[in-house]
Amino acid sequence: MKKLSVVVAGTGQIRDVEIQPGTTAGDVLHQLSLPDYLLSKGPNEPFFAAAESIYDKVKDGEKVFASTKAEVGIVVCA
Amino acid sequence: MRIKDLGTRPAPASLRELLSRAVRGQTPSIPVQRRLIPYWQERGWTRQGNTYSGNYQTPYGAFQGWIEQQRSGHIDFYLYNPSQEIQSHSHWTCFQHRGNDWYLVHMGKQPKDVSSGIMTIERLIKEAFEQQ
Repeated sequence: MKKLSVVVAGTGQIRDVEIQPGTTAGDVLHQLSLPDYLLSKGPNEPFFAAAESIYDKVKDGEKVFASTKAEVGIVVCA
Repeated sequence: MRIKDLGTRPAPASLRELLSRAVRGQTPSIPVQRRLIPYWQERGWTRQGNTYSGNYQTPYGAFQGWIEQQRSGHIDFYLYNPSQEIQSHSHWTCFQHRGNDWYLVHMGKQPKDVSSGIMTIERLIKEAFEQQ
């Protein structure tokens, strides 16, 4: 088991969770009722895919961020 | 008599503290409160009414920004004087010049909060530098 502190970017609220091997980013967001959010280790790290297992990618006690989905101009400009 | 009694004196404070700890055991830990602040605030942005000013922070530097949150909830993100790397990025067409070297960053998918938007732009800037 690993402990994670999920920081909800918009509010700064911190939600503590405990994850087991095989837990996906989607599992965490679902558990925290954050369906429109994406999980990452910070702005300089890529987002975890919803189906991606995060257990091996985070350290015990690490802080991760949940932020809402946003894309620069992809609909109109890309 | 070879020994002369000189009286007593207190042990040094450091020694007394050490002995005191040994007697009473480890002192209880003090829980440190975590700061529950939004990302924009953690990154040093300041807010005045419905506008925010600060820097998009990346491993490649800090880039001056400005954000305006409309009453409707729509959020406009601005970047000052984008670097050559950003201008070479595939999303450069999504930057609209608004005068005085300020550029509006057009969001195809709007973030629901200011912090998420800042993170998105910071990611984009990092990507622009790494694509060079």
